[in-house]
Amino acid sequence: MNRNFIKTLKYSLIKIFLIPINLWIIATLVFFLLRVAPGDPVDAMLGSGATLEAREILRNNLGLNQSIHIQYFTFLKNLLHLNLGLSLSNQQPVIEIIRNALPASIELGVVSFIVAICIGFPIGYLGLKNKDKKLDGVSRIIGISSYAIPPFWGAMMAQLLFSIFIRMFPVGGRFPIFQEQPQITGFIIIDSILKNNFSALVGSIYHISLPAITLGFLLSGIFSRSFRLNLEKSYQSDYVEAAICRGINDRNILMKYALPNSLLPILTISGVTIASLAGGALLIEVTFSWPGIALRLQEAIFQRDYNLVQGIVIVTSFLIVSLNLIVDILIAFFDPRIKF
Amino acid sequence: MFNICTFKFYKTLIFLIFFTSINFSCGKSNNPKKITLASSGKIESLDPARVNTIKALQIISSLGDTLYEFSKDGKLIPRLAADMPVFSEDKLKIYINLRDDVLFHDGSKFDSNAMKFTINRFKKIGTTNYILGNKIKSIETPSKYRLVINLNMPSSSVEGLLTSPNLSPLSPLAYKDFNDKFLNNEFVGTGKYLLKRFTNNIQILEPNINYWGKKPKNDGINIVGYSNSNSLYGALKSKQIDVLLSNSIDDVQRDMLRRLSENNKIKEGRSVPNEISFISLRTNKKPFNSLQIRQAIAKSLNRELISKKVSYGLRVPTRSIVPAKFKKNLLVSWPSYNIEEAKKILKKQGFCNGNVLNFPLTYRSNVPTDKLIALAWQQDVNSSMKDCISMEINGVESTTIYKNLSEGIYEAVILDWIGGYSDPHSYLKPLLSCKKSEMNICIEGQSVFSGSFWASEQVEKLFLESESKYGLERLKKLIEIEQIASKSIPYIPIWISSQKAWSQKNISKPVFNGGGQIIMSDLQQLNE
Repeated sequence: MNRNFIKTLKYSLIKIFLIPINLWIIATLVFFLLRVAPGDPVDAMLGSGATLEAREILRNNLGLNQSIHIQYFTFLKNLLHLNLGLSLSNQQPVIEIIRNALPASIELGVVSFIVAICIGFPIGYLGLKNKDKKLDGVSRIIGISSYAIPPFWGAMMAQLLFSIFIRMFPVGGRFPIFQEQPQITGFIIIDSILKNNFSALVGSIYHISLPAITLGFLLSGIFSRSFRLNLEKSYQSDYVEAAICRGINDRNILMKYALPNSLLPILTISGVTIASLAGGALLIEVTFSWPGIALRLQEAIFQRDYNLVQGIVIVTSFLIVSLNLIVDILIAFFDPRIKF
Repeated sequence: MFNICTFKFYKTLIFLIFFTSINFSCGKSNNPKKITLASSGKIESLDPARVNTIKALQIISSLGDTLYEFSKDGKLIPRLAADMPVFSEDKLKIYINLRDDVLFHDGSKFDSNAMKFTINRFKKIGTTNYILGNKIKSIETPSKYRLVINLNMPSSSVEGLLTSPNLSPLSPLAYKDFNDKFLNNEFVGTGKYLLKRFTNNIQILEPNINYWGKKPKNDGINIVGYSNSNSLYGALKSKQIDVLLSNSIDDVQRDMLRRLSENNKIKEGRSVPNEISFISLRTNKKPFNSLQIRQAIAKSLNRELISKKVSYGLRVPTRSIVPAKFKKNLLVSWPSYNIEEAKKILKKQGFCNGNVLNFPLTYRSNVPTDKLIALAWQQDVNSSMKDCISMEINGVESTTIYKNLSEGIYEAVILDWIGGYSDPHSYLKPLLSCKKSEMNICIEGQSVFSGSFWASEQVEKLFLESESKYGLERLKKLIEIEQIASKSIPYIPIWISSQKAWSQKNISKPVFNGGGQIIMSDLQQLNE
């Protein structure tokens, strides 16, 4: 067995071993920070008019009158049994709420990611191919402005332009209200294909287009800039020059020599982008009323729904940590220079 | 390289997006007789024992019926009750005859046992069961369609309670396993509509073909929730929805909607004003433990200016904490804006001329209007009373404010209130009543939770007396309570708002009932 493979495996196992510790630290921080914050679910649910008795009864029913350490150990015990508890605001299992909301966010994230690549790579490539020409200037402006635009402003402008003035896309939502949503995996696009439901597929694409294009465009800048830089670096490298001397045509130089090497750093950026997607998605989800996990988290924070906030943060952290680990392993797999 | 295959891929992608958008831009016509209604936010539950948001109550009032309802002019009208309630001589029993032709959505019959089940369930698990205020002792069902409510003490405000959507009867059969827990995503009541589909963001209502009364004028209502004011406004403007129902829409967009309705591009419907915005003054500590300072501050509030600047004149300035609809012609006036008098009072108290009264005003940072009220008032005070008052404004998230109100943390805080049921009692009691007090300072009771800590023995006496009076006599007692409060100024009323809804030109104008709920069954397409 390759020595580097064993080292990578060892590194991955250590990282996997560290995941529960990471999650425990995050869960503990979230647990205590939520309880330190003023106001509790009872205040959020009852507002200012409820009597002390009504508040105490509800607080008791929700188990908030127990001492903090009992609540904490109960929470940890449940967490070890993969039980995230019940939402305090509607008594639904937290895991069920996450299961309903997470696919919406993943779907939006994946499509946005694809859009970001589809916009970012050609812009970066065209800029490099037309270096110091007008097109290069345009590609630089698009690249820089796309990540300089605040997501909330960009989303609002896109909504105003394409939904309200041009009326090309819906102002919000994930699926046409008058249609029955196909339900298998929770990913509507996949479910529509699995159910062979063309109108549902068209409906879901219609709804996801604007939020995904907006988020994808906002993310594309980082891809276009880094792709351009890395591709330029690759073109200046010895192996490309050697390939040119050997008379290999432009297309093969790009596809077989320059591109694979320039994509590696982008794989690293992708790991970081996944984490920033979680943050950027919130503003997009709020603007486009996209029923995803970020919107749910925001609502849960306002409602002081401790269990739901804890559950969402833990699941999201787990996903981000896991995806970053996968990206690390992929980099090690693709780039023999990486040594752990 | 940007070759022909890449070009084809992009062409296909763009075509697909355009195709779907063109295909769906006209998609709303798929079901022309159904009305699409949008509102802000999502709904956690449709269990009447759980709900306390305006939106959820609006939907429940379409899915369910109440025993009685108030007409627009404040008269009690029987709904599921066959006639008006009859009180026993000692006023400790209420006799109600029920309709015998009502079916629940699950096909079971509505009777006195169902009503008993609903009230007892709400008493037991209702999150807002405090609105019952320990008034109901027990329920008897002497016959299938006769209900007897035994009261702990005479209570004329119970009539108003019986109009609350929280007490919409539920099918005991459907809620058999939910006697002591919530059933969030279903509703099995007696109303004009059946709940066909429920998610947090989308609710589909279909007409109840077995409804005992007048049938809905539409083929159903699709309710969709948007998470922000821009989307709501945009959806109506771009004709993606038929009706917009929201009180949480920003004032700048309300103004634009008003203009559109004035130009006959949309229709605007509004309820009788029922939401009071006010400033709660902490009367148990400095500086507002002084009546004179409270008077001066109350006189420094220019309601007209604030209404004009903040709400473009859409919210009506008020000098009362009870909506006018309840008071007939018996009006109560809290202190009016008078800057000169305010200065005079403050000078008498040793302020002005170098001694400035500092007071912090807290507002709910997640309620945009509150911030604008605070800013407008601060600016006005700075320009006209700079030498007397210095106002410092602080934004705090609403949940934190609700938690801290009873701790007495805020000297002055902007709040709002809608009565839990259509009755002046539901406005006065939560703001002015106090269980235990010392030297006119409330130690335990409702006024602690509204942050004023104000108490008056006379007011408590009048509350008690009002419960055994009816009609005009009762109203006079309640007016007397407000008069006492208006002289003591634990609160400063700012304005009163209506629930509003806007519809497209081809949809009938939205109409509200006396309780402030939109009558969804009256919405209909007009160009068919």
